Amino acid sequence: MGLNEILFAACAGLALATALAVVFTKRTQYAALFFVTHLMSLAAIYALLNAPVLAALQVMVYAGAVMVVFVFAIMILDADELEKLMPSQGEGVTVLVSGGLGLLLISAFFGFANRFKLAEALAPAAKAGSAGLAEGNIEALARLLYRGYLPAFELTGILLLVAVVGIMVMAKRKLD
Amino acid sequence: MLNIDFALTLATLIFSIGATGVLIRRDPLVMFICIEMMFNAANLALVALADHFGRIEGQVMVFIVIAVAAAEVAVGLAIIIAIFRTEKDVDVDAISALKG
Repeated sequence: MGLNEILFAACAGLALATALAVVFTKRTQYAALFFVTHLMSLAAIYALLNAPVLAALQVMVYAGAVMVVFVFAIMILDADELEKLMPSQGEGVTVLVSGGLGLLLISAFFGFANRFKLAEALAPAAKAGSAGLAEGNIEALARLLYRGYLPAFELTGILLLVAVVGIMVMAKRKLD
Repeated sequence: MLNIDFALTLATLIFSIGATGVLIRRDPLVMFICIEMMFNAANLALVALADHFGRIEGQVMVFIVIAVAAAEVAVGLAIIIAIFRTEKDVDVDAISALKG
């Protein structure tokens, strides 16, 4: 096992632990902080998976901008009021349902992997084809984003604009 | 080149934990964080497969998903705060304004 595998296992463990902590902690602020840790460990995993640009974006956009908005929302909403909300009635049923859902998902994944011989179908690409993954990642990403995926990129820009305008409208006007 | 099964299993587990959180919590903000967690599980699967196949298209998709998720978070939190201002209640079980 190389250094990468050990780092990957450590980050995976941290990501799982903080994900569970988000779901089972009582306080909303703690949930937000655990989620920041979760996002950071995912960013480290992205870096290990040859996606350094996405790791940086994950830290800046998710752990930075998005979580700041979350913490602002926690400040505006009454934190004490939020903490009074215990899990719903019939918690046992929902835990069973969601746990069963998770088990189903995992078994479906492994069943799928066995059925379609995923290990062979997912044979790793020849190293020659992986140029631009690790080194020159940002150039390769930009070339693809601004050429083949330009319509998607432009649409994302329009979506962000619409979101900004929508938030302005919602913040200005009081709902009836 | 890391083990693809390990990464995909991790993504599946994170997705299940996020789904569990959405189902069992009544705090709208924590439910929203759990939805983001499910987004991130999908992103992790895309990045892992991009690494596995040595192709960068998956990373482009994750880039767009992150941008869309940022817009979605801003709109979603604005809606939660607008509901809180009018209803004076943050319990998602008690909010029934959209019921027909």
